[in-house]
Amino acid sequence: MSAILEVDDLTHDYGEVLALSGLTLEVPPGVTGLVGANGAGKTTMLRLMLGLLHPTAGSMQVLGHDPQREPLVVRSRIGYMPEGECLPKDQTAADFVSYAAQLAGIPSHEAKRRSSETLFLVGLEEERFRFLGDFSTGMQQRVKLAQAIVHDPDLLLLDEPASGLDPEGRTQMLDLIKRLSDFDVNVIVSSHVLTDIEQTCDWVVMLDAGNLLRSGPLQGFEKLGTVLVEVLEHPDSVAAAIEEKGFDVVVDGLRLVVGPGDESIEPIVIAAAANTGSGLVRMIRGSASLEDLFLNRETV
Amino acid sequence: MTDQVIYDRGYRSYDGPRLGPKGARRAVYKDGVRRVLGLGRKARLKIFPWSLIVIAVVAAAVFVGVHWAIGNIEESMRQEIPTYGGLFDFYSGISLLFIALAGPQLLIPDRTRGVLSVYFSRPLTVDGYLTSKVGAFATVVAAIYIVPQAVLHLGLGLIAEEGFLSYLGNNLDILWKVPVTILAFVLVHGAVVFALSAVIDRTGIAAAAFLGTLFAGAAVAGRVAEAGFPGASYFSLLAIDHHPRIIRDYFFGDTVEYAPEAAGFEVWVSVVVIVGLVALAAWFVRFRYRRLA
Repeated sequence: MSAILEVDDLTHDYGEVLALSGLTLEVPPGVTGLVGANGAGKTTMLRLMLGLLHPTAGSMQVLGHDPQREPLVVRSRIGYMPEGECLPKDQTAADFVSYAAQLAGIPSHEAKRRSSETLFLVGLEEERFRFLGDFSTGMQQRVKLAQAIVHDPDLLLLDEPASGLDPEGRTQMLDLIKRLSDFDVNVIVSSHVLTDIEQTCDWVVMLDAGNLLRSGPLQGFEKLGTVLVEVLEHPDSVAAAIEEKGFDVVVDGLRLVVGPGDESIEPIVIAAAANTGSGLVRMIRGSASLEDLFLNRETV
Repeated sequence: MTDQVIYDRGYRSYDGPRLGPKGARRAVYKDGVRRVLGLGRKARLKIFPWSLIVIAVVAAAVFVGVHWAIGNIEESMRQEIPTYGGLFDFYSGISLLFIALAGPQLLIPDRTRGVLSVYFSRPLTVDGYLTSKVGAFATVVAAIYIVPQAVLHLGLGLIAEEGFLSYLGNNLDILWKVPVTILAFVLVHGAVVFALSAVIDRTGIAAAAFLGTLFAGAAVAGRVAEAGFPGASYFSLLAIDHHPRIIRDYFFGDTVEYAPEAAGFEVWVSVVVIVGLVALAAWFVRFRYRRLA
């Protein structure tokens, strides 16, 4: 299946503030995490995908359509769960979710049925006839998710979906999001909670101050950790040989920390140790969490 | 924190019809009508609109009853009793209160509670959203005006000496004069209340601002127009609430002399002012919401 999101040299600014700078990436079907600190450009990215903002330069295709030229076509296939408040307090959950379905073009009788089913799915079957103003924060998050999936979208955009949930509710919400991909619903989760992304996503897009840090499969990221090397002698010579190949090396006595980098590090270390006659004692690959990678601000 | 639990009961895909932007606009329209009438809302939100509706209909029935009672005593006296134009006057206060409630309810909660982010993630444009809201407003407010007039018209027909059908046949002009007058009221009051509701974030304040704009505006404009300095008469045109009443008087006979009339302006000037006011309000509200989206 082709990419659900294709971005080509995308730039967007708010006057003098550059929100996104020359982004080029592709996101495959599945569950994708959009990671970055506040101000990284995540919300701008989502608003561009919905066709609510127009890029300053570059282009974007969402589900094969340009959201700038065909915003209504794109939006009819997207479900969006905003980060902030978005619920009318004077409506019942059932009425609002049914209304959200009708806003997506579902006929009213079908919308009512799907409203009940969806609220059942998110664990609010008992509370569906209560007014939203009486709901707790956690319950409101569930209603926000329900309104986003009630019309069976092809792509779901979730902005901080686990915000306000207790640990158990958070785990259940993340599991539910993960399972949506089993039903051909593609998901893009925007979050600054990196552990949520690690639990949920197959693919990760990392943004930092409008720049793309990484875009790739989550499994591949662990290969980008550092390698701990210990030699018998001449650690500086080994370090110099490795640095010539373009990898960072930190020397600590007879130990070296090499990388981060992919699996090409290991043969280079072996060759460097052999060529300098240093005697390789051991070589261990460390894993990198998303947080490590994000804090290192390494781009690929 | 919640003690609720998510039970994963599966997810059902949907292969049925999708009505697209047209369905979205229809949904906004239906929700707008329901919101204004308090349907699907808490009981206290139903009390005010339905009380006003009942009062307006009862007022029309009382008018018919008075016609019937007076006519039984002395037929000639019936000519002195107000009919269609008088009924407009009688419940204009009721309709103004209703509009002061309905306009802010249609726009402000969506904006202040962040619901616009849900609307505009759906196949719905700003123009589609606003036209559906205007449609809902116009439908309900026009109904508030037209139902009592219909009760009066049919009631007068029933008590007419020439017979029901003859009365209706002899008064066919009512069928267009009443709707045109209602249109004038809906346009003027709708333009003002939508423009105010687009910028004020509290429904109570927007309602007060609407009533203040109409009443205080009319009073101030009338006084300034009488001041006598060059061009002062044009200030009378700022008595916005007077323009639909001038049109009503044009069709149903004068009641009082309104500020623009006193300043010497003809009825067509009121028509131009109404059209200009609506165009200005439409541009302003659209501009405001395009920025919000």
